[in-house]
Amino acid sequence: MAYGISIWERLGIRKSSGVSEAGWGHTAFVALISFIYFLPVLFIIFTAIKPQGLALSVPPTLSPTSLLGLIPEQFVFTPTLENFGSVFSRVMTAGSQPEATGFDRFFLNSIVIATASVVLALIFGTLAAYGFSRYPLKGNDTYLFIILTTRMLPAIVVVIPVILMFRTVGLSGSYLGIILLYTAFNLAFTIWMMKSFFDELSTDVEDAARIDGSSEVKVFFKICLPQVVAGLAATFVFGLILTWNEFLFALLLTGPDTRTVPVAMNQAVSSGGRGTDWTLLAAIETLFLIPVFLVTFFLQEHLLRGVTFGTVKK
Amino acid sequence: MMIGTAMESNALSLTKVSKSYGSVRALANLSFTVAEGRFFVLFGPSSVGKTTALRTIAGLVAPDHGRVEIFGKDFTHEPIAGRDVSMVFQSFALYPHLSVYANLAYPLVEAGLAREEIDRRVKETAAMLRLDKKIDRKPGTLSGGEQQRVALGRSLIRRPRILLLDEPLTNLDAKLRHDMRAELKRLHRQFGLTIVYATPDELEALSMGEEIAVLRDGAVVQIGTPDELYETPCDLYVAAKIGSPHMNMIKGSLADDGASMESPIGALPLVRRFQAATPGEAAIVGIRPNDIRFAVGDETGLAANIAMLEPLGDVTVVSVETRGETIRMVLPESTASSLQPGQPASIILDPRKFHVFRASSGQVMA
Repeated sequence: MAYGISIWERLGIRKSSGVSEAGWGHTAFVALISFIYFLPVLFIIFTAIKPQGLALSVPPTLSPTSLLGLIPEQFVFTPTLENFGSVFSRVMTAGSQPEATGFDRFFLNSIVIATASVVLALIFGTLAAYGFSRYPLKGNDTYLFIILTTRMLPAIVVVIPVILMFRTVGLSGSYLGIILLYTAFNLAFTIWMMKSFFDELSTDVEDAARIDGSSEVKVFFKICLPQVVAGLAATFVFGLILTWNEFLFALLLTGPDTRTVPVAMNQAVSSGGRGTDWTLLAAIETLFLIPVFLVTFFLQEHLLRGVTFGTVKK
Repeated sequence: MMIGTAMESNALSLTKVSKSYGSVRALANLSFTVAEGRFFVLFGPSSVGKTTALRTIAGLVAPDHGRVEIFGKDFTHEPIAGRDVSMVFQSFALYPHLSVYANLAYPLVEAGLAREEIDRRVKETAAMLRLDKKIDRKPGTLSGGEQQRVALGRSLIRRPRILLLDEPLTNLDAKLRHDMRAELKRLHRQFGLTIVYATPDELEALSMGEEIAVLRDGAVVQIGTPDELYETPCDLYVAAKIGSPHMNMIKGSLADDGASMESPIGALPLVRRFQAATPGEAAIVGIRPNDIRFAVGDETGLAANIAMLEPLGDVTVVSVETRGETIRMVLPESTASSLQPGQPASIILDPRKFHVFRASSGQVMA
C-alpha cells in the first residue's frame, strides 16, 4: 500500500486508499486548527521575504499577495529575496564593503554535527536495543530506566561539569567533542524507541531464519533490521530535530570553526548594537527549517508504513 | 523405546525429554520414536507442550534433561544447523520484507547454493505449490492459504529429512483447511518425508496421522494408529479426546460378582471379568455413540426419551434421556428423519463395545 505513493497522495491532495474520508465539516475544522499551528512558521517565512523596513511596520504587512483584492492594500508587501543574500554576505560596518558572514560554514557544521551524531546514536542504540529486546538481562527494565535517567536532568544542570571535563581532555571546540556529546544524548532516546520496535516483531520469524540456516548476526541484519526500517526512520527524524535545534551545549562547547546555526543565529542578530534585524533573523530561520523539512518529507513514507502489516497472525 | 541403539529406520527419537520455563513445566519426560517416512501426529489441546516438543527437535529449545536423536545421532545439545530439520510455524513466520521468491530462496541462499540452482529450485517449488504467479509479491499481500503454501514451500525447498508442522492449518478457514489436509498428505507421499505434525484438532490428527501420540501435561499418554486410539483408548483422557461425537461416559460401580456394573441407568452387563478390580469399585463405562442403536422387534432395550436432534447431513446425532442421563447416539439420516423430540424410544447398548475405566485413575481396566 505504501509503495509508489505519488507526491500528491502524500500531500493529501489525491486520495490514496479505500478508507472512507471524513466529511467537509470535519476536514475544514482540522484544516483551520492546522493553519493556526502553522501561522508562526508562515509569519517567519513572510518576514524573511519582506523588505527590511517593513518588519515592524504598523499596521503590519501580512501577505505578499492581495489574493485578488481580498486583502486591503495597506497589509500587502512586495516580496524580496534580499534578506537571504544578507545571511551569507552583508555590510557589517557602515560605509564599508559587504563581508562574508561565515554562515555557509555554520550550516555545514550543523548538517555534519547533527547527521553524524544521530547516525552514530542510531548504530549503537539499535544494537543495544536489540540486545535489550532479545537477550534480556536480569533486571532488564532497571537498566533501561537508568539509561532514561540521563534525559531527566535539564541540560543546564549538567553543562558546567561537561564543560570542565571537555576542557580537561581537550574536546572543547572540536567536532569530535560536540558529536560525542550529542551522540550520548541521542542514545537514550534511540534505545527506547528501537527497543519498542524490536519488541513488536514476531520472534517466530527469527526462529524460522535460524532453522533456515542463518547465524545470529544474519538474523539481525537480514531479518530484524529490514523489518524496523520505519522505526529507524522515525528515530532518525526525531533525533535530528532535537539535535538540529540544540542551543545550550552548542553555545558553550563549539568554537568559531565548529559553531552551529542556532548559536550563530543568536550572535548575528544581537551583535552590532543596531537592534535586532528581524528580517535577517527570519531569513536565517527559514533556511534553517529547510533541511529538517526535506528529511522529514522524504522519510514520511517510511514513517507512515508498518512493514509487518498482515504477515503475522497473532 | 530404544536407547542408544536406535534402529536404522528411526528418523527421530526423544527419550525422557524435560523442559521448564520458570515454574511452568512444558515437557515432562516426553518420549516417543518416529520411524522414517512416517506421518506422526502430536495431538493434544493447547499448552500441553506440542510446540515446545517441536522446537526442541528443531534445536530452538535446549532441553533441561533427556536426549534427542535424529537418524540415530545424538543431537540433544547440537546447534540447529546439521539437523536437516525444517519447520512450518503456526504463524507462518514468513519474512515480511522479502518477496515470495526471496522467501523461498532464503534457505538455499543461506546454504550457499549457486544462483542458477536456487533459481531453478525456487521456480520448481513455486510451480508445485501454484505460487508461480505470486512470486514477486510480498507476504502481506497474499491470502492466508497462499501464505501457508509459501511457508510450506520454504520448508520443503531444501529437502529436509524431517519436516515439523506446528498447527499449520489453525489459521486457515474451514474450506482451505480441508484442501490443505489433502495437499499435505500428497506431499508426504510424494517426498517420503518424515513428518511430525502438532495439532489440537482431532479431525486433522485422525485423518492425516499414521501414528498419533496423545499428549497431556508435557508427556505422552498413548501412542498408536488412529484405529488403535479409537478402539482401545488406554484411559479416559484419550477416550474423551478421540472420536466425534464424544464417547458417552456413564458413572457407576462394579457389582460384587464383577460381571456387571451398577449405574444410574440400571445394571450394565459386562462381557468379561476384571482381575485387578475390587468389587464395588467406582468405575466409568464409556460407549461410543456409534455403538448404540434402537431396539428392533421384541428386543427389550433401555426406555428413553428423545431429547435433541442434530442433523449433520447424512447422519444425525440423537441425544436421548434415560433416568437423568443424556446419551448421544449417531443414526443415519434416513432413520432419524422420522424422529421428534419428546418421543419415547428403546435403546440397546452393545456390551461388547464397552470401555471400562477406573474412576480413581482414569486408566482402562485390565
